[in-house]
Amino acid sequence: MIKSVEEYLRQLKKELAGCDRATIQDALSDAEEYLRNTLETRPDLAEADALLPIIEKYGMPDEVAAAYMDIESRVQVALAPARTSARKSLASRFFGVFADPKAWGALLFLLFFSLFSGIIYFTWAVTGISLSLGLMVLIIGLPFIGLFVLSVQGIALIEGRVVEALLGVRMPRRPIFPGKSLGWWGRFKKLISQKHTWLSIAYMILKLPLGIAYFVVFIVLISLALSGIALPILELGFDIQPLVINNVPYYTPVWLMPLTVIAGILLLILTMHLAKVLGRMQGALAKALLVRY
Amino acid sequence: MDLKDVNTADKKFQKELNAGITELVLLSAVSRATEPMYGYQIAKLIDEGRENEPIIKLGTLYPVLRSLERSGLLESRVEPSVAGPPRRYYKITESGRRALKRWTEIWGLTRAFVDTRLKEG
Repeated sequence: MIKSVEEYLRQLKKELAGCDRATIQDALSDAEEYLRNTLETRPDLAEADALLPIIEKYGMPDEVAAAYMDIESRVQVALAPARTSARKSLASRFFGVFADPKAWGALLFLLFFSLFSGIIYFTWAVTGISLSLGLMVLIIGLPFIGLFVLSVQGIALIEGRVVEALLGVRMPRRPIFPGKSLGWWGRFKKLISQKHTWLSIAYMILKLPLGIAYFVVFIVLISLALSGIALPILELGFDIQPLVINNVPYYTPVWLMPLTVIAGILLLILTMHLAKVLGRMQGALAKALLVRY
Repeated sequence: MDLKDVNTADKKFQKELNAGITELVLLSAVSRATEPMYGYQIAKLIDEGRENEPIIKLGTLYPVLRSLERSGLLESRVEPSVAGPPRRYYKITESGRRALKRWTEIWGLTRAFVDTRLKEG
């Protein structure tokens, strides 16, 4: 017999073992919300007695886990693009990267979103930590730390949504249920002491250097590739000199021009593949640092 | 079959029946609401007035809610709450209403069909 909400959640977590971690977090939040909300309507009974009919209605951990796994497996199938790429030839997989929405999503994330969000996250995290430390001696210190840590949880959820949309990595879809029975002070201690909070802050700080690196790498690669492709048009069509030394213009030999175009196209394709690989790594990093379970 | 086997078989049968019914019941519950509701309210509404073991375990409603939203039949927005974490409020969409109307008809036909067959037996 299950005697407490914690025990129920432990069992549910065990039943969901092997599932996606984000699914586990969603399922546990749903269950905790329902169980605690319903428990509050029966303050007259001991937790174990009150829980019995509630769990009867909500479902035993194995039933609930089965429902989540069932839906999740159907959704995964629907979300996954038709799996034909495995059978395609190496060449079509290499050149077909432009038709791969995952590559475009990753490029969008790495090139534009990472630097932009990195600056915001870094500023927020560093300001929050310094002010928290500085204000600790004052009476407003504790509420400030609490608000800061709460904001970190919110940012972790939003970042997760973007990561799922652009990088295709399953991330939590609900906020974490804090546990009402704890009270303000207990909740505060839990927030401060749990690893998840600090890993999220680490992610926020890490995002800036990573964002800068991604931005630089992709801007350089894309400009190199595009200039290689455009070289013949610029030189032959518009008479733009690629190199001028001591007022003497140097042109690319004509026989080299087809090669710069081909090199440019190849570089562009490789850039897209690199975006895909880095996108996968960034997704794995987000999952490791931003998901609690 | 001993009692335990009968129980498992019954549960399995009920679960398979529920696969589509859950979506229909949720859609109709959300469509009747005058304002958007969050998961716990919807579960309470569906459970209202039932004392014995529920046909649909409430824990299985939540994942279905999200899958309905993903297929565009429900829409949701997140609002902060005073007591706990932000809540996701669900509202039915226009295509959700159309689906509900069609599904209600299908349900009526199915029920009539099953009832006739059972009576014949």
